[in-house]
Amino acid sequence: MADRRRINGPVGTTNPPIYDDAPEKQSEGVKVTRSRPANVIRKMYLKTGVTPSASGSAYLEIESSGNGGSGLKLSCSVHGPRALPRSTPFSPHIILSTHVKFAPFATKQRRGYIRDPIERDLGTHLETALRGSIIADRWPKSGVDIIISIVEGEQDRETSKAQGIEAWDTMNALSGCITVASVALADAGIDCVDTVAGGVAALVQDAGNDAAPSIVVDPIPSEHEKVLAACCIAYLPTRQEVTNLWFKGDLPASDMDVYTQLIEKGIQASKSANRVLVDCLNETVG
Amino acid sequence: MASSQHVLLSPAELAYLHASLNLTPPIRPDGRSPTQFRPLVAETGILPGTNGSARICFADGTEAIVGVKAEVERTRTRHDFPSLDEGTEDDDDLDDNQNDVIKGDNDWVEMTVEIPGYRDDDAGTVFLSVMLSEALLADGEFTKRLWINQRFHWKLYLDILLISPPLSYPLPLLSLTTHLALLAARLPRLKSEGDEDPLFDDDWAAAPYLYPRPSEKGSKATAPAPAARPPVTLLVMAVGNNIIFDPSKEELAVADVALAVSVGESSSTTTSTTSSKPTAMDIDTEETKGHNLRLLSVRTIDPPSRLTPPGIPNASNSAYGANAGVKDTEKKKQQQEQARTAESEAVEGVWKAPRGGAKTLVMATMVQKVLEKGGVADEVLDALDGVDLN
Amino acid sequence: MPITILPPKAFRDQPPRHSLNHDSDDVMSDATFDSEDSDSQPGGVSLDGGATIHPRKRHRSGAGAAASSTFTKRPKTNAAINSIPRSAIVTPGERITTDPQWMRGHGTYLSSASLGEQAITSSLAGIVTRTNKLLSVRPLRARYTPEVGDLVVGRIVEVQAKRWRVDVGSTQLAALPLSAINLPGGILRKRTETDELQIRTFFAEGDLVVAEVQQLFQDGGAVLHTRSLKYGKLRNGVFMAVSGTGGGGGVVRSRRQVWTLESANNGGPIDVILGVNGYVWISKHVEPVVPEEAKGQTGITNLEEVVSATMYSSQNDRIEPETMREIARIRGVVTALVENGLRVDEDMVTKGYNEAVELALVSADGPEDVYLGGERGEQLAAALTAV
Repeated sequence: MADRRRINGPVGTTNPPIYDDAPEKQSEGVKVTRSRPANVIRKMYLKTGVTPSASGSAYLEIESSGNGGSGLKLSCSVHGPRALPRSTPFSPHIILSTHVKFAPFATKQRRGYIRDPIERDLGTHLETALRGSIIADRWPKSGVDIIISIVEGEQDRETSKAQGIEAWDTMNALSGCITVASVALADAGIDCVDTVAGGVAALVQDAGNDAAPSIVVDPIPSEHEKVLAACCIAYLPTRQEVTNLWFKGDLPASDMDVYTQLIEKGIQASKSANRVLVDCLNETVG
Repeated sequence: MASSQHVLLSPAELAYLHASLNLTPPIRPDGRSPTQFRPLVAETGILPGTNGSARICFADGTEAIVGVKAEVERTRTRHDFPSLDEGTEDDDDLDDNQNDVIKGDNDWVEMTVEIPGYRDDDAGTVFLSVMLSEALLADGEFTKRLWINQRFHWKLYLDILLISPPLSYPLPLLSLTTHLALLAARLPRLKSEGDEDPLFDDDWAAAPYLYPRPSEKGSKATAPAPAARPPVTLLVMAVGNNIIFDPSKEELAVADVALAVSVGESSSTTTSTTSSKPTAMDIDTEETKGHNLRLLSVRTIDPPSRLTPPGIPNASNSAYGANAGVKDTEKKKQQQEQARTAESEAVEGVWKAPRGGAKTLVMATMVQKVLEKGGVADEVLDALDGVDLN
Repeated sequence: MPITILPPKAFRDQPPRHSLNHDSDDVMSDATFDSEDSDSQPGGVSLDGGATIHPRKRHRSGAGAAASSTFTKRPKTNAAINSIPRSAIVTPGERITTDPQWMRGHGTYLSSASLGEQAITSSLAGIVTRTNKLLSVRPLRARYTPEVGDLVVGRIVEVQAKRWRVDVGSTQLAALPLSAINLPGGILRKRTETDELQIRTFFAEGDLVVAEVQQLFQDGGAVLHTRSLKYGKLRNGVFMAVSGTGGGGGVVRSRRQVWTLESANNGGPIDVILGVNGYVWISKHVEPVVPEEAKGQTGITNLEEVVSATMYSSQNDRIEPETMREIARIRGVVTALVENGLRVDEDMVTKGYNEAVELALVSADGPEDVYLGGERGEQLAAALTAV
């Protein structure tokens, strides 16, 4: 009878596992470049029902950029629909209020507890994106609160390059916010015309000096030499409509083609995110 | 203020507005053509205590004032800056590096928007100021103008004031006023050299403009080299396939989609990529005259139309006279069916708040209308050129 | 030309508007003022230079020149005092008279003058008006003050259990009780609980109504009613708010507040409703439709019932583009009138409209051009005042 009380070693000889050090330290001058194809978004993890006390909730994690940095981690909870306070005037529609907050430790620069303009701005964008997707007249005289906390923002460990990049990171954050809020809304059972998801595309200049600018989806700003322009799009795939568009950058007006392509890529990114979103919802229901 | 602030309009008004704006050509309530702006009165240099100021008012009395103030501030040294000691070792080396080193920081510009009747941390106010500063900082060139030397820079405060509560979404008004104030802004002439503590010329007349002027207006041969200009943000909305500029509050209330498009003008022509070259060659004369426009930012503005009360078709209106006394169950049933179709499809003359988003094609056309040669942005910049700067 | 940017206008003297102070002419002719007013301004001349900022001066601009000229004339006490009622513009705190024969009206208060006399003093900046022995001051600008019988256009802002609160541009919201409307399905039907429950199907927030002021509360709040076929919910047109009665431009009380205008360019008849409160509704004129089933029946009650069928409808009828264009033109006319400080009434709107049609004929874009903003508005106003 075999000895069950203790864990015996294997019969034969084995080599002890050796764990490789997390990605090799970047030596100076070598930049991490994008390894994914230009039109593939990063993998994401999406799960509903993470906050039992809320009517609907979701959690989203986007894998990190293999650079020792952290990925994006978002948690969203939806409270409502619930009755509005007595003082509010009659509304024939549901009143949406969005609240986006970075955790104080989410970014390199510590953020305070009071929402700063960027967070408020994100909230407005999110509201615009969601308002287009919900059927607001199904819930008259009621309100719904959508609260997103960005537990961990996307960031790079390498401090030196960080300057000027934060601005582009907000686009990725917004895209994540839209996706996660859309799932949470569906989880809360609020009528929507379609599932909205966020997608980002950027026109980037790669490290090579003479390289022509190219368009990539789901960009990680630190992987590229320079981001020339970027757009974040909230898209309804079955209706083929855009509920929110945010473009930022510097494009010559004569290059409308580039702009159009950028938007198309953004839509493509949004569609990819939408597939994850639908799978996640199927899983929840099934 | 939020664009989505509660606009109280009756469903019948909304239906009428939507119908009239959906015609080809659209009939706007105030009779303007789709691309026409409300007439405005503009002047600059109204506040002698500022580095630059401007005021614009509409005929309805809405008025905006912008003041630009600049202060000298010590630049925070960052670890990625080349240390000063290294740089000053060799004079030649310093001169060579000078241009490379000039770099700005977005923190050097502070923009505040003040709208009476709204809290300054109101989502809409924040949205407006973020949008305006985003356009200003988008190309990364603006902050370089604020660079004095490696140790000091100008800190620019842009204070945008609306004098009375707005009668319509104030974005275009604020943007045009900011544009003029920046054009009129001047910084004292620097007398010191290198990285020593900055010393400035007392003579205000000698102070250079923040945005340098094209050399002289008289010499036509050399003048056309377009100078860089601060951005303008235009509000565009669409109803059906009609694209309408500078919408009033009522018009915005029936918009299918509204966009804020920021356009800048740069002096450098080198950045335009090859694809645009052939067309530029074709219309050579146009090229020299037109503006070298750049698209800086596009944002969807949440149109208040989604929050408007829906109209009730007569067929399903219980207070509609013909239905009121009806007892016949047969007829009731018929009505219910009619009501159901009303839920799914639009009934003529009945307002229904738009659902969903906008078609990409419409959005692309809106941006195109702004940017195209001889388009609205061109003409707005031309008109702004005509404003006397003092 | 998508945008017109004008330089700021140089400040210029605006001639006093004669239409405003014609009421005061008879006050001026009243001889009692002359003697009494010398008391009402005791020692006015002997006061120091501060008195030069005398509210009597007619010029409100160019203060320096105007003030000094008034000052030089002031030693002639009686002449200066005679001019009080002539200019008839008073400012708050200015003594109007101490003569006890006058009664204190709106815009004034009683203050104790010397020797226990009571002086009627202005509490507003405006024009002195006299109605028999009642002295009142009409402000230069004011919000609408409701009076019984006024025809007003209002917007529902709140729905309560048994009444609506209506914005009529006054200091307070007006009330429209459920009992003051014609219920559908019979003009004299009894109000039921069902009606209370579905109060929002009659009028909901945002709806525009045309109504009449039925009575006033002590505090100046108005109670409206729509118990007539010409009142009810407004459809098929556009709304605009201009300043109401109270001086300056804007809607004035006149013989007819509602009329139908036969428009040019195949626009068809267009209804114009000028609410006394300054809210204006311009819409396509719709003949009441009598449904098939009601045609055979007769009787006055039935007819009224049928006509009120559309009273609570929020569905617009079909409106031709030509009609919409002319509606926009009329709206432009009203805006131009207001922006140029002219009164808005049937006469002016009709004249202005005809003028606008003429203007459009000579404009570059032809009669389809309905734009009347900016310079064209001024042109229109100039043409109207010239007549």
